Amino acid sequence: MTQVTLSGLTKIFDQKSPPAVDNLDLEIESGKLTALLGPSGCGKTTTMKMIAGLLRPTAGDILFDGDSILSIKPEERGAVMVFQNYLLFPYMNIADNIGFGLKMRKVNKKEIRSRVQDMLDLVQLPGFEDRKPNQLSGGQQQRIALARALIVQPNVLLLDEPLSNLDAHLRDEMRVLIRRIQTEMGITTVFVTHDQEEAVVLADKVALLFDGRLQQFDAPDSFYDTPNTVDIATFFGGTNFIPGYYLDGTITTDIGVFDAPNSLVPEGDAVLSIRPEAVDLGEGGENSVSGTVLSHVYAGRYARFQIRIGDIEIEAVTEPGQVKLFADGDNIPVKFDPDKIWVLGPNTAEQPAATTG
Amino acid sequence: MTTAPAPLPGIAPRTIGRTTLRWAGIMGLLAFLVAPMVPLFIWSISFRWFYPDILPSEYSARAWEQVISPTNNVIGATGQTTLIALLCTVLSVLLGVPAGRALGLHNFKGKRIVEVLILAPIIVPGLAVVLGIDTMFIRYGLSGNILGVTLVHLVPTLPYMTLVMSGVYANYDVDYELQARSLGAGRWATQRYVTLPAVFPGVVVGALFTFLISWSQYVLTLLIGDGQVETLPILLFNFARSEPAIAGALSVVFILPGILVLLLSSKYLSGDSAAVGGIGNI
Amino acid sequence: MNRFRLSERGAERLSISVLLAPAVAVIVLLFLGGLASGFLRSLNYFPLIGLNDFNFDAYFAIFTDNGFLQSLVLTFHIAFTSTLIASILAVASALLLRPAFRGKRIVHFFFSLNLTIPHLVGAIGVLYLFQNSGLVSRIMTGLDIIQRPADFPAMVFDPWAIGIIIQYVWKEIPFIGVIVLAILLSVGEDYESVARSLGANRWQAFRQVTLPLIMPGVVSASVIVFAFTFGAFEIPYLLGRTFPAALPVLAYQSYTDVDLAARPQAMAMAMVIAFISTLLIMAYMKLSRVYIRE
Repeated sequence: MTQVTLSGLTKIFDQKSPPAVDNLDLEIESGKLTALLGPSGCGKTTTMKMIAGLLRPTAGDILFDGDSILSIKPEERGAVMVFQNYLLFPYMNIADNIGFGLKMRKVNKKEIRSRVQDMLDLVQLPGFEDRKPNQLSGGQQQRIALARALIVQPNVLLLDEPLSNLDAHLRDEMRVLIRRIQTEMGITTVFVTHDQEEAVVLADKVALLFDGRLQQFDAPDSFYDTPNTVDIATFFGGTNFIPGYYLDGTITTDIGVFDAPNSLVPEGDAVLSIRPEAVDLGEGGENSVSGTVLSHVYAGRYARFQIRIGDIEIEAVTEPGQVKLFADGDNIPVKFDPDKIWVLGPNTAEQPAATTG
Repeated sequence: MTTAPAPLPGIAPRTIGRTTLRWAGIMGLLAFLVAPMVPLFIWSISFRWFYPDILPSEYSARAWEQVISPTNNVIGATGQTTLIALLCTVLSVLLGVPAGRALGLHNFKGKRIVEVLILAPIIVPGLAVVLGIDTMFIRYGLSGNILGVTLVHLVPTLPYMTLVMSGVYANYDVDYELQARSLGAGRWATQRYVTLPAVFPGVVVGALFTFLISWSQYVLTLLIGDGQVETLPILLFNFARSEPAIAGALSVVFILPGILVLLLSSKYLSGDSAAVGGIGNI
Repeated sequence: MNRFRLSERGAERLSISVLLAPAVAVIVLLFLGGLASGFLRSLNYFPLIGLNDFNFDAYFAIFTDNGFLQSLVLTFHIAFTSTLIASILAVASALLLRPAFRGKRIVHFFFSLNLTIPHLVGAIGVLYLFQNSGLVSRIMTGLDIIQRPADFPAMVFDPWAIGIIIQYVWKEIPFIGVIVLAILLSVGEDYESVARSLGANRWQAFRQVTLPLIMPGVVSASVIVFAFTFGAFEIPYLLGRTFPAALPVLAYQSYTDVDLAARPQAMAMAMVIAFISTLLIMAYMKLSRVYIRE
């Protein structure tokens, strides 16, 4: 169990371009599963390689349980990385691949053999010892790569896009496997992904990076409920933004005044954000306004509505089962539950009138 | 064939014509490629072969006995050729593999210049360089001995080996090394267990052809060897005009390693591999 | 952090230098050293025997010598004719060997066989085939086409260097052919099929589609072949005339001349060969940049 601390971690590849990782501070909790999330090129894999010792930071420090490990060689760090494309050594069979790390540690052959068996059981591929990597499917290769990393009982397990090369159904399987193994062995695990859903489903905590900078480090649901910025809310998709002015627990917008107890801004220009599924259609009373149904689509058990309120459009999603509520052109009351409104600072120069992502 | 339904007119006969034509072409091509070897083989087993006989009137193993007999020093020359080629191959591998790694895996300032420097000895004819080298070697006592001949053979072989390895490393995913380091392998263990097995086929093919390039050198040996170092090609040239039977037998000995190498490496050898590019030097 | 530690960039540069230095040192010393030493000698600079001044006498001597100029023309003729014929026949051979047929593997093996047969052996084989009393001449006598060896047209030691050219064509068809064949096989026949379905006939499909695809390979292989045939020594030494001799042979003769005064001229000829090859390398690099980097 190892706690990993990144302190002012910076990586500059090329003086002419901006840093790949920019002054990153992060406390990765011991024994937890942490996701490094961000669009491609945001510096997440670079960060991971620096933790593994495969890249040298330009500035900053990396600490395991409070001790700097920058001078420790990658092979002695106990931070094992599993690459996105698995990289099983092609000329070794599966047993030799899994046993590689133990061979490097001069463990005797008999013990290697028995621990390789255990690992194959763990990843549910018993009997695969003598096969060659090219005889395995992508999902199987991924599991062998995981076993090869776990056999050395790493202090920190680093997974680079562990699910991105897999088909949808294999992805679920792999997700369950990673979660199970991580819980059982309690290894501090960091994984990199560009898929926010994957991060949210799998991780205990998510670190969101844009352009090498940390945007938010939080529990997964916080990114939906209390995002730090409009950009973050947009990255997590499907939120309505309405610009306004915030004062004393209410936000005044072009379409009305709403109670909003939860706010990032104490006072001033702000943006009201509410998720489509939090919009109550057909309910009047407090915090409600009147809108017109513009269009709607059915998506199986729920429906998605475009609603016009004054000069802006918002999106609303009905609860499961409630599908045929309204027809296009209907005038209906629309209610924003005060507890589900989240008020953000206007962080971009040009505020979107109302955006649905 | 006669019971088969008649082929559609206009299609099948044309196909047959094309195939026949193609086979005629292929046979003609192979005949041309094999033709120069034919008189060499016949001479090597002939005893009397006077004009205008198309085939010898008498056959014998005389040429082969001459080849084995100590008077002509064929065995000595074969040994010397092999020794020089082996030394040259070892040196080329030791120096060329690291250099190929640098060129294949890294981008750096001045890479283009290094590439030109490596390519130049492959294209510039040996004779243009060896006259100058001879002047240097005479001064340092490297003329007329095996060491000097081995060194001068490096001029074509080392760049060749470097180019082959640069191609091999360019196709190697260096992340395998990072993966091995991450799993606990040190620098040397990584090279030993991960990189070496991956590049090994390339090293072997490169080394085999390096051996052949040295094995076939004539003019470099002629000038630097200065009559003191007698290799197979030197002997072969001396017999070519005077003793066709012995020259024929020597030719057979001389081409054997090449055929062996081709048999061993044909599965690794395709025209787009760097290994072919340097064969112009054999 | 230790401030004496190398930056990552510095460390990488150092490791690249360590990897490259031995090989580069050997090539610089032998290859560039050999060229430099030859160049100095060609300028009549040879302090060992008391020649301390530079002059261009050797170059002046060879470029005003009719024999040298004839050699130069002959050498260009040999290199150009061999390369042209070999390239055309190599492309034809590659097209011939491309489709799947029974025995393809063994045919390909024989095709690539003389990649490894030394030039010298090929040259001796050509000599025994085409000299006046050679195998071809004997067969023609047997067929009553000619009566005496003297009736056989001169194909070795001849003014047109026919034997030399035959030997080079024989040796280089597989060299260029294997490269072209690899391109043809990796490109596949789909482009031609598209062209054919768009209305191109066989020749047009070849000329407009296939040829541009294989051209980079043909050109780069041809440059190597041209440079080799321009500077090779043993083949014209064995199969060529003594006068005019191919340039490398002439250089060798001058170098081994009993008259030591001829040595700077030999060196000057070596420099001419090196200079022309250098032009070829530059052409090669430029072509490889234009064609291959795309």
